[in-house]
Amino acid sequence: MAGKSVNKPLMIYYGPQHPGAPGNVAYKLWLDGERVVDAELVPGFLLRGFEKMMENRTWEMNIVIGYRFCVEEPDSLELGYAEAIDRLLKYEIPEKAKWVRMIQHEFGRAASHLFWANYMSGSVGLRTTGFWSITAREEILKWFYKVVGHRIYHSYSVPGGIRWDVPKDFKEFTIKTTNRVEELVNDIESALLKNFVFKARTKGVGVIRGDDALKLGITGPALRAAGVAYDIRKAVPYENYDKVDFIIPTGENGDSYDRAVVRFKEIHQSMKIIRQAVEEVRPGDPWRIKLPLTVPPGVGIARVESARGEYMIHVVSQGGRKPYRVRLRSVSMPLMTTAIKHVVENEEVTIADFPVILGSLDPCAPDIDR
Amino acid sequence: MVWSTLEKAAKYLFKRPYTRMVPKSEPPFKTDHTRGRHILDLNKCTGCSLCKMVCPANAIDMERVEVEEGKYPQNKKKIFPRIDFHKCTYCGLCVEYCPFSALLMTNVTGFELFTTDKSTTLKHPQELAIPPKNRYRVTITRAMFSGILQKPQVKAKRKGGNHG
Repeated sequence: MAGKSVNKPLMIYYGPQHPGAPGNVAYKLWLDGERVVDAELVPGFLLRGFEKMMENRTWEMNIVIGYRFCVEEPDSLELGYAEAIDRLLKYEIPEKAKWVRMIQHEFGRAASHLFWANYMSGSVGLRTTGFWSITAREEILKWFYKVVGHRIYHSYSVPGGIRWDVPKDFKEFTIKTTNRVEELVNDIESALLKNFVFKARTKGVGVIRGDDALKLGITGPALRAAGVAYDIRKAVPYENYDKVDFIIPTGENGDSYDRAVVRFKEIHQSMKIIRQAVEEVRPGDPWRIKLPLTVPPGVGIARVESARGEYMIHVVSQGGRKPYRVRLRSVSMPLMTTAIKHVVENEEVTIADFPVILGSLDPCAPDIDR
Repeated sequence: MVWSTLEKAAKYLFKRPYTRMVPKSEPPFKTDHTRGRHILDLNKCTGCSLCKMVCPANAIDMERVEVEEGKYPQNKKKIFPRIDFHKCTYCGLCVEYCPFSALLMTNVTGFELFTTDKSTTLKHPQELAIPPKNRYRVTITRAMFSGILQKPQVKAKRKGGNHG
């Protein structure tokens, strides 16, 4: 029962071993009865000092480290790091590399959303659809395995293009994967989003309105669900996003349900982008340019739209073989701190709703502990 | 209502399980670009240590090998890389940067690399030179990276100006 208790709030730890915790972070929750009155993030369980590590390694070696900030979606970071160095060197990379990078980026986004769908349906107690979304994600991972050679960490988008040429049956295989993913996603949508249990658990829960979301520094699907159509892919197009036709799905209320709907719509848009991009990938085109051994002094900034929001990767070179500084603008920090605090203060959040709200915001724990 | 969920669930109830029965009846999933165990060509390696320098996981170091007189004349110091597969992330940078194509990657992966003895994960050069016992295919070679490398063109100005 959510009611006023005479006792002082009880502090409990939520995470990092809790199955509902979004990765290696903990929360201190202050409870009044069943109501969460305050939430405080306890980070630092995954601190490995990635940014500092990158200063001691060469530019090439950092390709392999640069995407480990986020386990669930490494492709955006990989693209961001490659893009930042391309901008620092002021090189125009081959067109084919741009299209393949886009396909990789969009598949990464879809895989991340599908992994989120598993977590989300688990947090409302509907485990069936979670398995289907893992199946759909597996199809994407198989695509990665075929083209790239790894399942999770790809290291395929490198400064100067893509690492190696695409296989011969690239086009057919990609189209087949998108069709299979969409088939499964349609099933998940009709099973999950129309389910009244899911609606009851998510509608009107964790509301963040558009103007609040902008003030709190939220980007990505959580902002778009609040009705603000802001997407880096449209606002400041990178790669060839200005040459493809897609829409930015938006919601109205900014609650957990809208965020779920926006994410599923984004998967369909990703598949639409991939189908357009794969037509432009022609066999025989150049895919990579040779980079110099030493990088001249300068600054490179890349902003990419990941599955969770806007990543900004800032690389500084003072010449030589190693970067002077690599900095990342983290997506999850506002989601895990200001957004959760805002929701807890303005709404009657019970302890059962907390994982649902946290799940619907979809933060990625490692990128706050970089 | 929940009918839509039940309807879709009934459809999946009669489908074959998606899980791969590894290792009982199926091998690990392999493709043409699977990055797995390395093979070292002792006749090509010159001991330049580039693979050691580029390894991000610090899994490679150079080891002096005692060989008979006149063998491997290209390698003056007789030093060859040894790889610790306990540390290796299979990124393939060593293959990419080897100037003499001495390192290759095969599609031996997954449980085929498992061991119960941790001391066997460090592969000495002579062990790396022996091809794996399982059926394997060479997947990653240096030729894949040096296929087409254009000379870079410096562009005048990039659109989307506020990127810095």
